[in-house]
Amino acid sequence: MPTAKKPKSITLRTYQVGFGDCFLMTFHYTSGDKHVLIDFGSTGAPKTSGDDLMLRIAQDIQTQCAGKLHLVVATHRHADHISGFATNRAGKAPGDLIAACKPDVVLQPWTEDPDADPVTGTVKGDRKMFTASLRNMHGISQSVLTELNQRPTAFGKTLRGELSFLGEDNLTNKSAVENLMEMGKAGKAFYLRCDDTPPLGSVLPGVKLHVLGPPDLKQSEAIRKMRTKDENEYWHLQAQAGASSAQTKGRLFPKAAILSAADRPPFARWFIKRCHKLRGEQLLGIMRALDDVMNNTSLILLFEVGGMKLLFPGDAQIENWSFALSQAGKRKLLEDVNVYKVGHHGSLNATPKSLWNKFTHKDKPGASERLTTVVSTMAGKHGKPANKTEVPRGPLVDALKAESDFFTTQDLKGASKFFMDLTFDL
Amino acid sequence: MKAPVSQRTRPLMIIAQDPSVRLKGKILRAHVEVPAEEIAPGPWGYRVHVVDYDASTDTFYKPLLNPSFQYGGGDPFDGQSDKELLDNPNFHAQNVYAIVMRTLARFELALGRRVAWGFYGHQIKIAPHAFADANAFYSADDQALLFGYFPGRQGTVFACLSHDIVAHETTHALLDGLRTRYTDPSSPDQAAFHEGFADIVALLSVYALPAVVSTIINLNATEQQARRVARKQLTLAKLRQSMLFGLAEEMGQELTTTRGAALRHSAELPPSASYLKPGNLEFMEPHRRGEVLVAAILNAFLAVWAQRLKSLGEVAPGYLDCGRVVEEGAAVADYLLTMMIRALDYAPPVDLEFGDFLSAVLTSDWIINPSDEKYQFRQILKDTCAGYGIHPKGKLHSECPGSWDPPPAHLNYDRTHFEAMQHDRDEVFRFIWENRKLLGLDEDVYSRVLSVRPCLRIGPDGFALRETVAEYMQILDLEAGELKRQGITAPSDMPADQTIRLYGGGTLIFDEYGRLRYHLHKRLKDADRQSNRLKYLWDYGYFKKGETAFSFANLHRQRATGALSSVKEEW
Repeated sequence: MPTAKKPKSITLRTYQVGFGDCFLMTFHYTSGDKHVLIDFGSTGAPKTSGDDLMLRIAQDIQTQCAGKLHLVVATHRHADHISGFATNRAGKAPGDLIAACKPDVVLQPWTEDPDADPVTGTVKGDRKMFTASLRNMHGISQSVLTELNQRPTAFGKTLRGELSFLGEDNLTNKSAVENLMEMGKAGKAFYLRCDDTPPLGSVLPGVKLHVLGPPDLKQSEAIRKMRTKDENEYWHLQAQAGASSAQTKGRLFPKAAILSAADRPPFARWFIKRCHKLRGEQLLGIMRALDDVMNNTSLILLFEVGGMKLLFPGDAQIENWSFALSQAGKRKLLEDVNVYKVGHHGSLNATPKSLWNKFTHKDKPGASERLTTVVSTMAGKHGKPANKTEVPRGPLVDALKAESDFFTTQDLKGASKFFMDLTFDL
Repeated sequence: MKAPVSQRTRPLMIIAQDPSVRLKGKILRAHVEVPAEEIAPGPWGYRVHVVDYDASTDTFYKPLLNPSFQYGGGDPFDGQSDKELLDNPNFHAQNVYAIVMRTLARFELALGRRVAWGFYGHQIKIAPHAFADANAFYSADDQALLFGYFPGRQGTVFACLSHDIVAHETTHALLDGLRTRYTDPSSPDQAAFHEGFADIVALLSVYALPAVVSTIINLNATEQQARRVARKQLTLAKLRQSMLFGLAEEMGQELTTTRGAALRHSAELPPSASYLKPGNLEFMEPHRRGEVLVAAILNAFLAVWAQRLKSLGEVAPGYLDCGRVVEEGAAVADYLLTMMIRALDYAPPVDLEFGDFLSAVLTSDWIINPSDEKYQFRQILKDTCAGYGIHPKGKLHSECPGSWDPPPAHLNYDRTHFEAMQHDRDEVFRFIWENRKLLGLDEDVYSRVLSVRPCLRIGPDGFALRETVAEYMQILDLEAGELKRQGITAPSDMPADQTIRLYGGGTLIFDEYGRLRYHLHKRLKDADRQSNRLKYLWDYGYFKKGETAFSFANLHRQRATGALSSVKEEW
């Protein structure tokens, strides 16, 4: 049966994954449904959600799509966006269930392109260095976690919590990454940058996909003189530094005399304490910078269908957004967005104000065609209100509530209530 | 045995620049004179305490009292191989101690007095192997300089073995002591100055070592060639090539990354007035902006050196004696270094701009050396700085154009006492109070004298110049809604209840008769300056990120990672 040219409605299922993202978007055609999975990851599910949450979500996805996904999007490689794609030997992990749905197409950012791999790939120069930096960052995360484990009393509880969270989110998700790559090989894989136009006509007829980010290095340089070389070099060195502190414990100078804790002079105690505090702050600074870089590799996708626009920016922060927002044509394109997946779980710098201010469908409650906003988030995991860095950020949530039909996964409580559906007629 | 009191300095061996700068495959070493003192294991002296604790691995290295610190003891590291030096944390401790003490002594020599660190306390703590991290920084809160280490391509890279990094961080600590308010949120120039000035001092300290200069100049020469150098290699363009790019190339690339390759970036900046123009966003970023100042000053150094070499006699047709060339270079670097440090006394205490610093340099040099015949440094500095869009703030002086304007006449000295004015902050405050109208101070604000420092300098004519330098500051706290009444424009989207702190202040230079020679004034209610400052701070997120205290550690990381300010887009 030939597929009708345009879908007649869309269902957006938002899953409760705690801190993470998972959306199943179903396009309803007269001839049948097409299913798009956007991200599937978590770094901490709510206690009320019960056991095996990720597995239950994978089973639900399988049921909803009747065993066939058409498009899978992994916006970037943070654990809270892709951990669900991990497989296991028994073939029964959530990622195995997704793989069994044999997606026709897998979309990922250009930074995940295996051809850009610094070791095996053919891509040279800055781009190769940049992808090498990203790989270094996983190494840094690992060494920070190792240092945390080796030094159980060196850092305060709050700092330790934040470092563990950032460390784990930035660890390499090898199994998930490989599964995404395999699914891409089995179907078709596109590694996208801003302005790419992947041919999805047969997969999602009548749907126009705009890729608004991430910019590649040339595009970034167009808006900002990036010192890519220094930047990459920095991550390279940092990765090595991290590896050395994890491995060389006390052996930096094998022949040197060292003083045991009991023999250290009392006058040095104050300074040693200060050094621990500094070290903690330093690790946190590095991890935050690293986390930002990784977030900024996020795909920013705008689905345009039947006069409706749905915006999925992953965790893109302003550095990623800048390229698209620097162009009048793209700013215009974004003005009449109808559905906005709030960027980066509602953090302070992932919904650029210049973007939000332009949205024309913001309106009073009850207005027709009012903007819909959806956020998948979990308070208390990331940032602090005292620093104005809490996620989700208070003033942003206030604005979302005031000017849009606002939906948050924080309202999904209890083991049985692990998703919510929004339907849009076209 | 105790050192005789007559011993003023002691020679210590250091690594001349860093382990990657080599001569015939061996690490280039230098012997530097540092102030002699009674030393405890650490080394632990009256201003520096090396505590070799590694926070990444929880390792405390046992400090040794090296024979070189005792009277008559030779430097135990002198005969050691490169590997032995690199493998011994106690040598690293000596290296860092010597460079910090040398830098401190350099500041004290230029300023003619003891110079305090930027914190309450006499002894700065130094951790030469503080953590496994590609970073090194000064932390006032911790009263410390901290140096990281990390594995490089050819073994571990130690920031504490890099002369320019150690001198750079030490300069932050000293500048923070001399001008405590330069870490306040202010103008883009002030934000850039700490980094730029630290780089200038660090690089000139390295250039002032003859061993480094001769190695860089003769990099590709055979041994026989090394004794002389072709005149055609000593043009300004060629010197720029070898001394800026050449040294940048030689310096451990991995090390320069920890500070963002300041020398390389500065060397790559040809003169242009466009960098500092408002709206040039790239150069609103503090480190990038600092590099413009570094480029201007280093180019002046090379221009003066090249000029000096023109009059040097040839040892063979077309050839100069290498030793003399190097000696000139080191002397020029040393003279310029003194000029730079002295200028700090003549700089305003708040809201520094590059043009203020240039006037301070010109004035402080003119006072002690009115003729400027030997080097013609003032004219060359003014010209090179103008090439980079830096123009002196002083306008009126006819004898030394660009130097500071004189203070108002007819000040009242009747109610203050000459002797007390040289050290007593309350006495200086009384002088300010009596003369507040003539000095043009805003009267309805909080005022405080920050420091009163007597100083003694010896001029080229051998005479001593005595001056007293006093700094005062003024503060006014307002809400944004109140700014309009002061004629100050608040940023358009700043909420009316946003708390604002306005700074003003001045440096008073009294001559040897106790008369005011200069008043380097930044008026608090200077509406244009305050409006621009508020706009800059608002745009760059200070008011949002105000809780995050200023830290050199973050500044250095941002420099390395090229972090972008985007505060206007944030919630």
